[in-house]
Amino acid sequence: MPVAKRFEVLPNGDAAFDIRFSAEPSEQLSETIIALAEAIEKAPLDAVTELVPAYQCLTVCFDPLHLTETTGLLDALVSLTQTALIHPRSIAGTRNLIRIPVCYDEKFAPDLPALCAQSRLTASEVVALHTAPQYLVHMLGFTPGFLYLGGLDTALHCPRKARPALSVPPGSVGIGGQQTGIYPQATPGGWQIIGRTPMALFRPDQAQPFIARPLDRVKFVQISTQEFAQFDPHSEPEKMPLSALSTRGVQQ
Amino acid sequence: MTLRVLKPGLQTTVQDAGRPGNLRWGVARGGAADTFAMALANLLLANPLSHPCLEVALTGPELEFTCELSIAICGAEFDLLHNRTPVGNDQVLQMRPGDILRFGGLRSGARAYIALAAELAIDRRMGSLSTHVIAGFGGFAGRALQAGDQLPLRNCRIAKTRSLPGPYRLDYRSRPLLRTVDGVEAHCFSENARQQLGAGNFTVSPQSNRMGIRLNGPPLPQERAPQQVSSALCPGTIQVPPNGLPIISFVEGQTIGGYPRIAHVISADVHRLGQLTAGTPLNLETIDAEVARQIQREKASLLMKLPDLL
Repeated sequence: MPVAKRFEVLPNGDAAFDIRFSAEPSEQLSETIIALAEAIEKAPLDAVTELVPAYQCLTVCFDPLHLTETTGLLDALVSLTQTALIHPRSIAGTRNLIRIPVCYDEKFAPDLPALCAQSRLTASEVVALHTAPQYLVHMLGFTPGFLYLGGLDTALHCPRKARPALSVPPGSVGIGGQQTGIYPQATPGGWQIIGRTPMALFRPDQAQPFIARPLDRVKFVQISTQEFAQFDPHSEPEKMPLSALSTRGVQQ
Repeated sequence: MTLRVLKPGLQTTVQDAGRPGNLRWGVARGGAADTFAMALANLLLANPLSHPCLEVALTGPELEFTCELSIAICGAEFDLLHNRTPVGNDQVLQMRPGDILRFGGLRSGARAYIALAAELAIDRRMGSLSTHVIAGFGGFAGRALQAGDQLPLRNCRIAKTRSLPGPYRLDYRSRPLLRTVDGVEAHCFSENARQQLGAGNFTVSPQSNRMGIRLNGPPLPQERAPQQVSSALCPGTIQVPPNGLPIISFVEGQTIGGYPRIAHVISADVHRLGQLTAGTPLNLETIDAEVARQIQREKASLLMKLPDLL
């Protein structure tokens, strides 16, 4: 049974197409999107400059200087997408489970009291629910190294802030709507901040600047303020290869 | 051989063509805000189009040269002094050890590009020398230049003294008319709201930066709720957040967005966003995407022809 029965290819500006799937975000849909991105990358489509996976969409950017018209590219994308839906391909590379240390101490968690009040949970219950899942990395985006994670416990869903903070410190761990994530840089942010990681999520000086790839899994591990202070932000992240079996059946 | 920063200016950064191909990692293209002005300055010196140069924003720096080399400045027009002599944009300037280049008042535009007949001896990050200001990496020490910085140079050379032919001289004095194509979620807005956007009612907010150009004006109501599908944001995409005030995604913008997109500034005009100053009213004109791509090819071919005209 294909993950999505229907898709449409829409222009996204004058130099990109969105391939949109009519299906809810899921691990299976993300696998299809990543596999499709790999197939497009291997196809002889020289004009393609960027492939950007999202929950229900793959954006294909192209350079108009390498095309005289877009019909050929459009046809190729439709045909590759049809093939990807009918014959799911396996995806190259190992998937890993990455452990990310998070300190939930009140000095790093300005919005934890509000979340507790709203969810009627104690701080330690929030931490227990937040550290339990192996979150799925659907994609990276927003700012360098930001991970879009799937699998937040429904008890922790909460609205975004009415007035976004002008700047959240790098490493801030937040919850917004049905999503949880970490702000890699000091940026404006509308999520409720419940903790902070000392780990650098973006390492532009290193050959591998990102700690995770799409379809990897992430687990938050609670640490104390003392462990936070002693942590080397650029230490190698703790990674474990996931066997095919253990990647199934994780709650979304 | 160094370039000494006596005064840094507001935000003087090393820029090139940026880091295309990394949107999937959350890394926006970055690089020069006005790639066209950068290309002109580089072509005057017979450099490649995107040879690393200095981007000067709104308030310019004061720089001291410690070796003999040629430079060229294109883009925004500032009052410029080479030692004590007023000089202009769009020509090759010959610098000698001890010479000082001083940026004074801004006459038009927002960003100037100082191309160098030299290489900047700094390390690439993710394939580029450009400074990613928001994420704080690349360029010189991952930040805008500060007083006292010494940019290491190598292979300094002297280029032929020459200037840009008239048709290539950029002028930012007129009220900007930017061309757009329909947005992915244009149908979520009434015809009236779509006309409002382009009719000169919106001005550039002072809260604009390399991440986004924010617009001030009468809030645009959303008529239909969009199918909220997040997808890639490219420079030039105009999103309308719930407060109704549009934001044009720029070179260091978020790579994925979920607000409805009312329109996209065409790729060929994105470089002009780099020259907008606060308070400037915007006029937009909707064109067909195929025409938009043709305009981009024409602009590229204008640059290709320039070396033969110099």
